[in-house]
Amino acid sequence: MFLVPFTHHRPASLDEVFETLGRHGDDAAVYAGGTELLLALKARVLRYEHLIDLKQVKELSGIRVEGKELVIGALATHHQIANSDVVKAHVPAYAALSEEVANIRVRAAGTLAGNLAFAEPHSDPPSLLSAMDATLVLVSPGGKRAVPMRAFILSEFTTAREENELIAEIRIPVTAAGEGFAYRKFGHLERPAVGASAGCIMREGKPSYRLWFGAIGDHPLQATEIEDAIAGVPATSLPDVLPRAARDCAAGISTASDLHGSADYKQHLASVLIQRALAAACEAAQNKGGANA
Amino acid sequence: MSSRAPSPHPDHVDKVTGRTEYITDVEVPGMVHGKILRSPHPHAVIKGIDASAALEMPGVIAVLTGADVAALNNHWGLYLKDRPVIAIDRVRYVGEPVAMVAAADERIAEEALEAISVDYEPLPFVTDATEAIEASAPLVHETHDTVKDFYFKGEAKPVAGTNIFQRYNYEHGDVEKAFAQADRCFEAKYEFPMIFHYAMEPHCVIASFQSDGLTLWSCGQSPTAIQKVLSRVFGMPLARIRIISPNVGGGFGGKASVKIDPLVAALAWKARRPVRVCLSVSESMLTARRLSASIRVKTGVRNDGTILAKSVSVLMNGGAYADTGPAVAVKAANRAIGPYRIPNLKLESMAAYTNTVPGAAFRSIGGPQAVWASESQMDEIAEALRLDPLEIRNRNLLRRGEHVRPDLRPIDVEMGEAMDIATREMTQLRASDSGSKTHRGTALGISDPGIMAVSSVLLRLKIDGSVAVVSNSVEIGQGVREVLRRLTAEQLKQPVDVVEVLTPDTAIAPFDWGTGASRSSLMMGLAIADAAADIRRQIADIAAIVLEVDPQSVELCEGGIAIGNRKKTFGELLHAYFGIDSGELVSIGRVSPYSNAGKLAQAPLFWETAAGQCAVAVDEDTGEISVRHYVSVADVGRVVNRAAAEGQDEGATVMGLGHTLSEELVYQDGQPINATMIDYHVPTIDEVPENFVTVLIESGTGPGLGGMRGMGEGAILPVAPAVANALAAGYGARIRELPLTPERVWRAIRDRKER
Repeated sequence: MFLVPFTHHRPASLDEVFETLGRHGDDAAVYAGGTELLLALKARVLRYEHLIDLKQVKELSGIRVEGKELVIGALATHHQIANSDVVKAHVPAYAALSEEVANIRVRAAGTLAGNLAFAEPHSDPPSLLSAMDATLVLVSPGGKRAVPMRAFILSEFTTAREENELIAEIRIPVTAAGEGFAYRKFGHLERPAVGASAGCIMREGKPSYRLWFGAIGDHPLQATEIEDAIAGVPATSLPDVLPRAARDCAAGISTASDLHGSADYKQHLASVLIQRALAAACEAAQNKGGANA
Repeated sequence: MSSRAPSPHPDHVDKVTGRTEYITDVEVPGMVHGKILRSPHPHAVIKGIDASAALEMPGVIAVLTGADVAALNNHWGLYLKDRPVIAIDRVRYVGEPVAMVAAADERIAEEALEAISVDYEPLPFVTDATEAIEASAPLVHETHDTVKDFYFKGEAKPVAGTNIFQRYNYEHGDVEKAFAQADRCFEAKYEFPMIFHYAMEPHCVIASFQSDGLTLWSCGQSPTAIQKVLSRVFGMPLARIRIISPNVGGGFGGKASVKIDPLVAALAWKARRPVRVCLSVSESMLTARRLSASIRVKTGVRNDGTILAKSVSVLMNGGAYADTGPAVAVKAANRAIGPYRIPNLKLESMAAYTNTVPGAAFRSIGGPQAVWASESQMDEIAEALRLDPLEIRNRNLLRRGEHVRPDLRPIDVEMGEAMDIATREMTQLRASDSGSKTHRGTALGISDPGIMAVSSVLLRLKIDGSVAVVSNSVEIGQGVREVLRRLTAEQLKQPVDVVEVLTPDTAIAPFDWGTGASRSSLMMGLAIADAAADIRRQIADIAAIVLEVDPQSVELCEGGIAIGNRKKTFGELLHAYFGIDSGELVSIGRVSPYSNAGKLAQAPLFWETAAGQCAVAVDEDTGEISVRHYVSVADVGRVVNRAAAEGQDEGATVMGLGHTLSEELVYQDGQPINATMIDYHVPTIDEVPENFVTVLIESGTGPGLGGMRGMGEGAILPVAPAVANALAAGYGARIRELPLTPERVWRAIRDRKER
C-alpha cells in the first residue's frame, strides 16, 4: 500500500515544530525514524495531512552523560544507542537490549523515543527502562515536564504524552558500582512475546531487586510480588525462593491467548525469563556494575 | 567443490547489484497501473458494486468488476473450471479480487479502491476441511465442471453436492487381513498447516492488447498454460497470445500453472491500455498457499519391525478454488508410501473446498505433508518395538529395482546408501561438536515427480559460432539458464561462453509443459540433445557439399568442424555454403512420451529422493528448537552445476525448516489473521543450521543427459519428521502437529514429564 499524499515539513527547531503543530493540530503527526508511523500510514490505519520530520531539530539529538544520568536525545536510533561507547560504558544493559531490537533495518532508522511514543505492547525497551527507573522529559510550548517511565505507558498505543507534547529526551540513571541490569526476551515472531527485565542493586552488601515484565501486558508490569518475596535475599540464596515466587507471580499476570502464544505459555515464559534476567543482573552487579549482559 | 566453470551463477553479480531485470522493471509504452479491491468476507453474495466515485477521480482510467466479464468465457481452471476471472455475484474467501482499478499510477489506483463501495450479504462459511466434508457444511461451489487432459493428464473426481473436489483411491494386497495378522498395529493422525510460498518477488504481470494479439510479461512458471487459459477466456487463437517470462524472483509452485494472469489481462482489456499489476507480499499471501492436510496412517508390523501392511487416509484443505489441488491430493497419497516394501497397501485421498486462500502446488506437491506423517510414524513404531530408527528403516528398505507399487516404475536409487552416508556425515559433525548436547533424527523421503514428457527447444547456430538457446524454461532463481547453457555447450562441443540462453517468449520459443516438478534440466536437456543432433546432421551435410567429404567423417570441434586433421570454422563453412559471410543454422529438439523408445512415458520418470538427518538441541524452558546440524543426501544422477545444485538442496531444506518450526497461515472466524510478514515467520539466517552438509550422489542412473535426475524438491521432504523424531528421541515428546512452535514443544515436554 502507498502513503496517502501529505505535506511534509522539516522544521529546524522546536519552536518551529510547535508552530507547525499549532497550525495543523489533529491533522499533523511528528516522526523521526518512521518505522512505526509509516507502516500504520501505509496500512491506512492512520491518516495525516501533515507529517513533521523531526530529524533536523538539533535540540533533540545527542547521547551524553549529565551528572549521574545518561541522556538519550529523542533522535537517537536503536543502532546508535547500541553502538555508543557512552551507553556501553554507563548503561551497558541498555546498549545490549538495543542491539537486539527487531532487525538491523528497524534499528538503523527507528528511534527509542519513537518506540516509546508509539507504545506497541510487544516492544523491548519499556520494561528495562522501568527497571532502571528512567525518566522521560516531555517538552511543549508551555515548557518541560518529567514523567517516570513507569508511569508513561498507560495501555496499548496510549501514553501520558499530551497532544502538544514531544519526547525530548530519555534520562537513564547511570549504572553504578554494585548494580547490574539485564533484559531477556523470547518469541518466535518478529516482535517479543514476553520480555523480562531485572535489576540487582547492592548497597553495603545488601541486595535489592527490581523486576519488570514487558510485552505480556498492555504496559510494563512491575513484579512486586516477586520483589517482595525476594527482598533482602542474597543472590546466592535466590534459587531457594525465586522459582516459586516467579511462577506464582507470573501465573497472576492478566494476558490473553494470541498469535504469540496461549496465555498460560506466556505466563510460563514470564516466569522463566524473569529468573534468567535476574541471574544475569546479579552476575553483572557482582562484576561491580561494569560490563554486563 | 569440483565445478569446472569459473562462475557457478553468472547472474549473481547482477542480482546483488540490482541490475537484473524483473517484470517490475519492465516499461511498456502507454502502460497504466492496476490495483485490486479484495473481499473482506469469507463467503458472501455481492449485491452491488458502486464504482462511480472512483471513476470520477482524476487519473482513473477504468474499473473492472464481475459485470464486465460477462462477455468473456469467464470461468477457468486447469482441473475444474471453478474460478471466475474476477468475482461474479459471490466471493468465496477473504482476499478474493472483487474489483480492479486501472489508473495513471499505483497511488491513484489505490486511492480509487477506497472510493468503490461493495454491498455484501454474508453467507455461512467453512474454513476447516473436516467441517467442509460434513453434510451440513455450506457449499463453496454448487456444481463441479471438470476438464480432462486440459493441461494435466487425467481428470479430477469431485463428489456432486459436496465440497469434495478430488478423490483418489489405490490398493494392492489385502490390508485388513494383514492388519489382523500383524503382531502390532500403529495408527495416528498427523496435521500439516497451510504454508505460504514466500517468493521474494510477489506476483507481477503486465498485459497488453496490441494489433497482433495479447502479450503478457508474466511471473508464471508455466507460460504455455497461461497462454492456453487466456486463449479460452478471451476466445483468441493461441497464435495471437504471447507470454514473455523475464527473470522471476522465486516461484516454488506459487507461480505455477496460472495465477493472476487472466485478472490482469481482463483489466487491460477493459482499460484498452497496457496494464501492470504488481502485488505486495501480503497480497501474494492471499493468492496461493500449500494445501494443509490431515493424514491418518495405520501400519501393521511384525515384532521384528517388518511392515506387513499400511493404510493412508489423506484429507486436504484445498481452499476456495481447486487450482492444482487435485494433483496435490494424489501425490500426497503416493508420497506417503515411503521407500519401503509394503506387501499390502491402501491409499485414500480427498481434497475439499473451503472458504480460504486457494491451495496450490508447492515444492514437491503433497510430499512434505505425506512424509511428515509416514516418517514420524516409522520412528514411533521403532520406539515401541525398541528398535533403532535406522534399523527399522533398513529392515524394510526397497533395493534399487524393487517396486514401490507394482504399477509404478521401480525405485531407481539405493536409499540405503543415502541413509548410510547421512549417518556417517552426521556422526562426524556431532563428534566435532562434542560440547553441545544434541539429539539425532532421521527421515527418508521419496516422491514420484509428475513430469509430462513434453518439451521442445530451438538452437540457433550463428555464423560467428555463437549459439542461441530458445526455450520456455523459466529462470526462477533455480539456475536453469546456466544449466541449459552448459548442456548446449557440451552437446555441440563448444565453450560455454559462446552459448546464450534467451528470455523465454512463447512467440519464438517452442512449446514446453512448464517449469516445475523438477523437470527442466532433465527434459529441456533431452530436447537440447535432440536439437544438437540435428545441428550436427545439418553441418555434416553442408560439409559434404562444400568440402566434398564423407558426412560420417565430420566432427564438431571448438569453433567449427574437424575432418581428421583438417579444420574449418563455422564461419568458413557457412560462408562457403551461403555465398555470403552471413547466416545461421536452426534446429528444433523435441521430447514426447514416445521419445527414447517410450521410456519417458512410464510414471514416474524417476524417483526424487532425500535422506535427511538432523541434530537438534531444545531449550526445555521455552520449548525453542535449535537445529544445530543437518545432513541432506540424495542421488541426483549427475550434477551439472555443483554450487547451484547444492544451493537448491540447502534452499529446499531451509524452506522445510519454515513449516517445521514456525510457519502456519492461521484462520480465525473466516479471516486469515497472520497474513503479513510481521506475524508470519519465514526462516532467516538465524534458523539455518550451524553446520550443513549436502551430499549429492552421482550414480549416473537417471533418465537425463549423463544419467541425471531432476532435483531441487526432494530435500524439503525429510526435514519436519527428522526434527520431530529427534525431539521424540531426545525429550520423549512426540508431536503430531506442525509447526513445532516453542509453545507446542514446551507443552509436549511438560506433559511428558507429568505423565
